[in-house]
Amino acid sequence: MLMGQRSGCQEKSKKLELALSETMKAEAKIQNNEEEAEELKAKDQRLASVFGVADLKNGAIGLYNVGQSCCLNSLLQVFFMNIHFTGILRRITVPPCAMQKRRNVPYQMLLLLEKMQCGKQKAVSPIDLACCLSAYRVKLFVQHDAAQLFLNLWNLVKKQMKKPELVEELSNLYTICVQEHLACQKCSLETKRNSNMLTLPLPVLDSNSRALRTLEKCLQYFFHPEELTDHNMCFCEQCGRKTPFLQSMKLVHLPQTLTIHLKRFCFEESAYIHKLSHYLPFPQDLDFNAVLTENQCQADDSEKPPVQDGLSEQQTYCLAHVTSPRRRKSIPGSFPCSGVCCRAKAAWQYELFAVIAHSGSTSCGHYCAYIRSLTECKWYCFNDSEVCQVSWDDVKCTYGHSNLHWGETAYLLIYMKKHPQ
Amino acid sequence: MAQWQEVQNLANAYLEQVHQLYAGSALPMAVRQCLAAWIESQNWRQAAEPLSSHARMLFHSLLALLDEHLGSLGMGNEDFMLKHNLRKARRDLQAEFEECPDNLANLVANLLQEERQILRLGQAGGEGGAAPAPSTPPESNREQQIQRRLAEFHAALQEAERAFRHLEDMQDAFDFCFKLHYRPGEDRTNDPQYTQQIQALQAKLQILDRQRREVLAQMQQLLGRSETLRDFLQQELEAWQERQQRACLGAPVDTRLQPLETWFTELGQGLFQLLQLLRALGDLRQKVSYERDPLKAETPLLERRLLELLTYLLRRAFVVEQQPSMPNACKRPLVLRTTSKFSARARLLVRLHDRNHRMEAKIHIDRDPPKIKGFRKFNILTSSSKTLLAGDCPQEGLVCDFQYLTLKEQKDSRSGKGSKGVGEGPLVVTEELHLITFTLAYAYCGLQLELETSTLPFVIISNNNQLSSAWASILWFNMLSCDPKEQQFFSAPPPAPWPRLAEVLSWQFESVAERGLSKDHLLMLAEKLFGSKASPESTVAWPKFSKDGAAGFSFWAWLDGILGLLQEHLKQLWKAGLILGFVSRKQEKKLLKGKRTGTFLIRFSESVLGGVTCTWVEHPESGPPAFRAVVPYTTAELESLALPDIIRDYQLLVEENIPENPLQFLYPNIPRDEAFGPYYSQRQEANLMEQKKYLNRRLIRVSSRQANESWQTEEELVATTENLEMLQLQPSGLGTQEPGGLASLQHGSSGTLQPRGLGTLQVTSGNLGTLQPSSPGTVQVVATNLGMLQVTSGNLGMLQVVAGSPGTMQPGVSVMQQPGSQVLDPPQLLQVGSGVSELLQPGIRDLKPQLVLQVVPEGQGMLQVGPGAMEPQLVLQLVSEGQGLLQVGSENLGTMQPVAGDTGMLQVGPENLGTMQPVAGDTGMLQVGSENLGTMQPVAGDTGCLQVGPENLGTMQPVAGDTGMLQVGSENLGTMQPVAGDTGMLQVGPENLGTMQPVAGDTGVLQPVPGAVELLPVPEGQGTLLVPEEQGTLPPELRDLEPLPGSLDVQELLQSLENVLQPRSGTLETLEAAELMPDMLEARDGRLEGLDPGLAGSAALLNPRDPFLPQPEDTALPTVSSLFTTDFPPLHIDASDFQ
Repeated sequence: MLMGQRSGCQEKSKKLELALSETMKAEAKIQNNEEEAEELKAKDQRLASVFGVADLKNGAIGLYNVGQSCCLNSLLQVFFMNIHFTGILRRITVPPCAMQKRRNVPYQMLLLLEKMQCGKQKAVSPIDLACCLSAYRVKLFVQHDAAQLFLNLWNLVKKQMKKPELVEELSNLYTICVQEHLACQKCSLETKRNSNMLTLPLPVLDSNSRALRTLEKCLQYFFHPEELTDHNMCFCEQCGRKTPFLQSMKLVHLPQTLTIHLKRFCFEESAYIHKLSHYLPFPQDLDFNAVLTENQCQADDSEKPPVQDGLSEQQTYCLAHVTSPRRRKSIPGSFPCSGVCCRAKAAWQYELFAVIAHSGSTSCGHYCAYIRSLTECKWYCFNDSEVCQVSWDDVKCTYGHSNLHWGETAYLLIYMKKHPQ
Repeated sequence: MAQWQEVQNLANAYLEQVHQLYAGSALPMAVRQCLAAWIESQNWRQAAEPLSSHARMLFHSLLALLDEHLGSLGMGNEDFMLKHNLRKARRDLQAEFEECPDNLANLVANLLQEERQILRLGQAGGEGGAAPAPSTPPESNREQQIQRRLAEFHAALQEAERAFRHLEDMQDAFDFCFKLHYRPGEDRTNDPQYTQQIQALQAKLQILDRQRREVLAQMQQLLGRSETLRDFLQQELEAWQERQQRACLGAPVDTRLQPLETWFTELGQGLFQLLQLLRALGDLRQKVSYERDPLKAETPLLERRLLELLTYLLRRAFVVEQQPSMPNACKRPLVLRTTSKFSARARLLVRLHDRNHRMEAKIHIDRDPPKIKGFRKFNILTSSSKTLLAGDCPQEGLVCDFQYLTLKEQKDSRSGKGSKGVGEGPLVVTEELHLITFTLAYAYCGLQLELETSTLPFVIISNNNQLSSAWASILWFNMLSCDPKEQQFFSAPPPAPWPRLAEVLSWQFESVAERGLSKDHLLMLAEKLFGSKASPESTVAWPKFSKDGAAGFSFWAWLDGILGLLQEHLKQLWKAGLILGFVSRKQEKKLLKGKRTGTFLIRFSESVLGGVTCTWVEHPESGPPAFRAVVPYTTAELESLALPDIIRDYQLLVEENIPENPLQFLYPNIPRDEAFGPYYSQRQEANLMEQKKYLNRRLIRVSSRQANESWQTEEELVATTENLEMLQLQPSGLGTQEPGGLASLQHGSSGTLQPRGLGTLQVTSGNLGTLQPSSPGTVQVVATNLGMLQVTSGNLGMLQVVAGSPGTMQPGVSVMQQPGSQVLDPPQLLQVGSGVSELLQPGIRDLKPQLVLQVVPEGQGMLQVGPGAMEPQLVLQLVSEGQGLLQVGSENLGTMQPVAGDTGMLQVGPENLGTMQPVAGDTGMLQVGSENLGTMQPVAGDTGCLQVGPENLGTMQPVAGDTGMLQVGSENLGTMQPVAGDTGMLQVGPENLGTMQPVAGDTGVLQPVPGAVELLPVPEGQGTLLVPEEQGTLPPELRDLEPLPGSLDVQELLQSLENVLQPRSGTLETLEAAELMPDMLEARDGRLEGLDPGLAGSAALLNPRDPFLPQPEDTALPTVSSLFTTDFPPLHIDASDFQ
């Protein structure tokens, strides 16, 4: 088994050698001589028989901070540790000329990934990628907001990928599809709109500015129908005037990699932004069916959710659903379920994959990433160039603390869909 | 350097991995072995960085060290192979890495890392192998985790420090080059050498920048991990606090702080070290800084985060180690009594301090008092601040130990009296919770903090009798409150879930008697609380627990009574599980039904506060099994006789039957003596050998019952067994000689029987046991000849003279009955019929008026009339002759007329006696208690005896009689005129005797009581003053007293006596006291040590509450009346007296 970053290193790097022959030459400078590399590979294989881990180092490589790049580093680590993402990234086409290569974000990311996987240092410098990004208004030496940067980065990757099938795969991997319902309270008019999101921006306070207790509560609050009254009223075409509306949100599709954005940075009436560092626990395993109501989980229209591979085989889970009390209540007696709902339900079980934590205040702070290796199932903490193996207890420290405002608090949570077995 | 050693200690499977690791490695294991320490102390990772010159330096050092090592090896053959290997290795290394020392650095770094990995696996595996993983308890797991993490933290810290030193060196090098080469003013762009230098400088700066970022990343990582540690420690601390709270309730938990202190100190130390490192980093920035210097942006952030963490850690580390408690009430802390001392201790778990800084700890009580009306305010009387001393031995830690604290209530001037009036506040005193807050001014390494911590809420009482309910409050609070500072908890106390309460109650028993409550016990308690519908979801409301109670006491008061009983008397039995304890009656019957006759169990009474009883089963020949139980024993009874002894000797008196012990087998089926054998008290036969004149005796409990009683329910049972339980005094000699000669004292009253000669029983008070005030006992003089019973001390209950000839009973000042004066006929059975004697229960106050007591003819019946409540209409008629004795308690007695009889004796208690006329009789004896006696005229009789108690005797005129005897108690005697008689005897008590005129008579005896001096003025010329035989204890002055002339005025005599006594012994009262100690017999025997005037300790004998003493400070208390009143504390009797 392999670490995320190292996934396919041996087999695929051979395939890539054709495509990347040029870059490999460039990397040769950094690399040690061929002999040693081979020797190390041989050693890898030897050790693999002992450890079951084809990895000489502690499994993960750090990224040097090149000047306020902790945010970028954390995000990159989350991308690179995601074998679903690297699987896509490795299939990109290499831009023909050097200039394009320098300006191509996916390519630079791939280069960096290769550098991390082939290098023998504890960390590598992402300076090339950072320079490349700065060409797209992602400035260097500036403290970024991780959620914002994630969006920018993802968009850049998506845009610069040439192959449409890769683009679709990438979208499927990350995009959340929700359906917004707007129902006029005066007449029966109901409008629905599907929209795609890259992250679920969850508020951590309720409407009365009280702290929500858990991530599940945040989710429930986010999907809770909201009445739009008074100056929030909308214009109803049917009634011909502004009427109170009921706004609600339903889930249509959840991706393989689900990113949750905890809105810990609170904009109050003034321009002053402050950080909410209160305690907010999040689970390692998240089951949307248990958290949300049936109604919220299931878009009721016929709009087809993006089809995913292998969903059909999940129909075997129907019976399991019928026997659950929740299910029995909603469909009394009627046995065979539609399949779509069941597919969705079985697929909406997630486990935590990564946490991007922020420490410090809004004006100055530091990001680090806790990532659970998908192959080893071990947690690592990436603090720029420092990487160490940690435990779930360490990750729990990012729940936050109402008395400690400078400590690490989770900001982005990345959940990975559990594969039904 | 430890790493290689640890690697070598690994288990074989892991060692194999190490061998594989080095098998193909360019670095042979031999080199690793001989340079282990050096290799491990170098920063290979750093050196492996590109563009680093460090790698080359390390490479050459390695070769040099190898050479050195080779040189140091001896010429001997034993090292031959090693030398060969090393030499080869050196050659290979040089050949391989000469060109690229970076590779060597990288190689070594990877090897070291790999070793660590194997080590980690190996050690984890080793631990797992040693103890099967699932069975390890989570606590110890957590402990291990904390320890491991602390070790990792310190290792990482050292790593960071090493990186910092490297950074320092690097910066110095750069700084030097920079100052040397950089010439910004000059334009030397054309100088290629200069350009090269500038480029080199630039490269150096790059490396410096990277190193700075590296150090910063390391610190970020360190801080992140320390946050986890902080969380762990906090959880441990919270667990400890919970444990402490439960320990306060009596739970058997470990409340040691030592591991926590070690961990907190270690983490604190690490964090302070990190702080210094950060500050040093800041200093580096002062020397060299550049654009986008990472130190500039990140060190302040790190420092703030670190300071916040440290502050938080220190605040949490200040804990109350010992909750406030009074020294003698360790098992019930958090209940404090005003004016009693208590102590409390706080500890700072982070054992770091600045020796130059004086840390002052202060305590405050109720710093933020709750807004409750009537909330009492207190001051701490003793010093409330203390300097925290470093302590000479560091293991003691930073402790502020406040001992000898006392509280005093603040008097509120507005409301006049500060004490809380009824209904003034919403909370009763025992529900009022107070807090003590400790504050500590802490300073260390430039960090200044004011730390504070609070105790758990406690209850302040002013009287010991509030202790029980105060403890109930503490239990309730600590069991249910989620906020340890919630002082208003009792404004709305939540109900307690039964399982939780059951656990806490069990702890109470565990802490008192080392055995908790079993499931069955709890089941019974639950049924008692909830009836049959008890379930784990049941809850108990606070009032139901502590206030309401159908039986007149609350559930808690009942339990606490049992706890008290256990604590004092039944600890061993409870611990051994011999007491079944909590058994409902239904259950009890169910248990006993199938057992053989005589199977018994011990349970706690549900109707009596703090009582324990035995129930046994009897299977009659026909009919259902009967269940019997004795009236519960309480502390009062168990004080004199322990429960095992009661069980051993318990007797049931059945009519026309030999007394038997019905308690044979302890439930389920253990023979009595087998179960209780170890707990029987040893009889001290040897002691008794000293006093051979006394016969052996022992104390047992008896019950009696009528033949045809049916005991179906407990209520009936209680009623019928009211008389059941008795204490039997069995003078063994007498008992065997004269069957039926039993004297019984009931209800906790116990006494000594001193058979003197032929059946005279004297219960004197020195040896007499306690006569409990509340329970009027029965004294049964069953049968005896010439029985004389003298009960001297206070509070005698009922006396029943059932049968027997001249039983004499004398309460009050002991009277010597001269055996000669009772020359009586052969025993005639006196029959004070049972009906009559029952009416003569003085302790019972509701004696009805219009009562006529008739002591039926012939005999020495005795009547005792209790205090107070006797209605004036009572007429007592000692109808006819014989040695009847009449005792009248106190006040309001009507007329008494001992009409006739030979040796009739009349005893009058205190106050307000009407006229008394012992009309006739030969040896009629009259005893007058205290004050306000009217006129008395023992008119006739030969040996009429008159005893007058203290105070205010009116006129007395023992008119005639030959051997009339007059005893005057104490003070204020009026005139006395023993008019005639041959052997008239006059006993005068202490002081203020009025005039006495033994007018005539041949051998009139005058006894002034004090000082054991018996004055026996013989008026007829041959007057003699008889000094008692035992003179040894008398003051010498008294011994020298000359016999006075017979015609000497008695008053003069007394005066002179007083003059003699006073200057020497200070007060006459001392002597009085001594004499008035009821133990007259002993005094005569010269055993009364108090008489020695040299001993000021004579006062020790002066029992201020002795009813016979005049009580100058307490005039309201009639001196003799106290003999009969019931509100005196019991005389304490040592159990050994009964051996």
